[in-house]
Order: sequence, then structure tokens, then C-alpha cells
Amino acid sequence: MKFNKRDPVYIQVIRHFKQQIASGHYEPGQEIPSRRELANQLKINPNTAQRAYKEMEEAGLIFTEGNSPSKITKNEEVIGRIRDELISEAIDNFVTAIRPINASLDEVIGLLKEKYVEG
Amino acid sequence: MIEVKDIKKNFGLKKVLKGVSFTANKGEITCLIGINGAGKTTIMNAIMNLTPIKGGEILIDSERLTKETYEKITFIPDAITMLPQMKIGEALQFMKDFYKSWNEERAKELLSFFRLKEEEKISSLSKGNTAKVNLLLGLGLDVDYLLMDEPFSGIDIFSREQITEVFTSHLVEDRGVIITTHEINDIEHLIDKAVLLDDGKVLREFRTEEVRELEGKSVVDVMREVYQR
Repeated sequence: MKFNKRDPVYIQVIRHFKQQIASGHYEPGQEIPSRRELANQLKINPNTAQRAYKEMEEAGLIFTEGNSPSKITKNEEVIGRIRDELISEAIDNFVTAIRPINASLDEVIGLLKEKYVEG
Repeated sequence: MIEVKDIKKNFGLKKVLKGVSFTANKGEITCLIGINGAGKTTIMNAIMNLTPIKGGEILIDSERLTKETYEKITFIPDAITMLPQMKIGEALQFMKDFYKSWNEERAKELLSFFRLKEEEKISSLSKGNTAKVNLLLGLGLDVDYLLMDEPFSGIDIFSREQITEVFTSHLVEDRGVIITTHEINDIEHLIDKAVLLDDGKVLREFRTEEVRELEGKSVVDVMREVYQR
């Protein structure tokens, strides 16, 4: 995972987890690395990893029972919401980028269809 | 917490520290940034009481440096202080004999983490491996605070990566770390706090995640602002 330098690292970590959850790469109920392991894997400050986990726990993305490792949420509603959020975010970015070019919606949709299938 | 409060220091007529204040918390990595001559190493030496200061005070967990607080802290200089003809194993034995707080188990772990061998002679090591031994000798001590002077200076990229990895591992645990560097680029994501120094003064002290979150700036962005005024 590659970090950019201007967004808070904990937010980038959360985004990474959301992508993994939405894509199904992380399955519901799957165990995730400990805070320390994550810090080590991503080469980030352990306090930052801790912060990301705390926020994800509060948002219901992950859960922890007793002393066992944290797991990905099993709540389908939350997973659906993450997916919607990511799609909507990507579309927003796309629209922001394409609008200044003044291409017609039909043209954009046509191209989009083509590219999407290719990809 | 280490509190540096308005410390001043002269070398002859030259004022090298002109009232430096900052804090470094336990469980965090605080980075002193500045070009050579900004006063980084002098600050380290002052915290360790290796050089007398002219004004101000330094508190470690609310106490001035005494024999007791001295046990809580260690300084890893940028050059190795062991005799070059020593073997790594002999240096470790020396540490064990000399320091009550030496943690042999952790030292062994670090040795294998860095892939160093006890029978290697210090004088025969590459620059990167010498830096690792140096770090190992400091990290092997059970202390609350670690001061490291330029741990990344002049070593190859793979050694840098390995040293970076140590910072994120249990080997540093919940200790307070102060490091100095003039090259921040590949450790931006690693530090909790940055203290920008120039000409014996603190120009800015900030928490890195806060600056990203509230101002959308990277550490280097802030440095550019502060230093290029």
C-alpha cells in the first residue's frame, strides 16, 4: 500500500480497509492483523495504526471480542454502506475531473461503457 | 515526558541554543529536524547532561536529570562508541557486564532481526551494519526514552528500511523516542511529532497527523513554509 503525504495516515488506512471490505478481499468475520502487525506491514507509526483501528471500531467496520484479534464486521448493512460510499466517492471524483472538459453525457457514457468492459 | 524548557547554550561567543523549548511524549516518536549546525546534537547532549546549559531546564517525567532519571534514558550517537577491534558478541557482553538494564533477550532478537553475527568484527562491518550495531546497543537497554542522533545518515536504502521497520515493531515498544534528522522524506509516516529547528531556535513544533488533517499539508510542505520564509 502506497501512502500520499498530505492526507492523515489513519484516514488512508481506513480507506484501504474499506476498499478491501467492499471488494470482498476481506470477508465478513475475517481476522485482521493486530495493531502492531499492521504498523509493521505498512511501515507506519503504531499510534497511527491504533487510531485507525479505534475509528473503525467506532464506525462498526471491525469488532473485537474480549482479548481475541479484531475481525471484519459481519453486518451486511454496514458492508453495503461502505460499498455505496466508495462507489459514490469514485463517481464524484470522476465527475469533477470530466466536467471541465465539457463532454456531453452521452459521449461520456459511451466511452465509459467501452472502457469499463475493456478494463 | 521529556520537557525541554527554554534552554540556552553558548560555545564561546557563539550562541548555539537561543532558548529552545519542546516536549517529547512517551510512546511517541519525536523528530528534531534541521540542517547541520541548527543545534540538534547539542540538544541531545544537553538532555543527556553531557554538556552544561546556560539557562532553562530539562525535565524527564517531571524531574531533573538525576542518577535515577538517568537510568530511564539512553543516547545513541551517530557514530559507534565501541572499540573497532571488538567483535559484536564482545560488545554485547560488555553491555551486559556494564548495564543493569541490559535486556539480553531483546538484544538477541535484534541481532537476528538485523541478520548480524556475533563473531563479526566491528571494524569489518559496512556502514549500514555499523549503524545497526550501534542501534542494537541502545535498543538493548530497558529504558523509557531513546535519543538517536541521525540514525539514517549515510547508510544504504536497505539498512534504512530495516531500521525503519524496527521503529514500527515491538522492539521499540511503548518507549519515547527522539531522533534527529536532516532528511525526513522516507520517515514522514513514522513520526508523531516534528520540531523544526534553525540557528538554535525552534521555528515550529507540530503533530504530523494534525497538520495533515487540519491543513492538508505534508511535513515537507510545512518545512518549505517555515524554512523558505
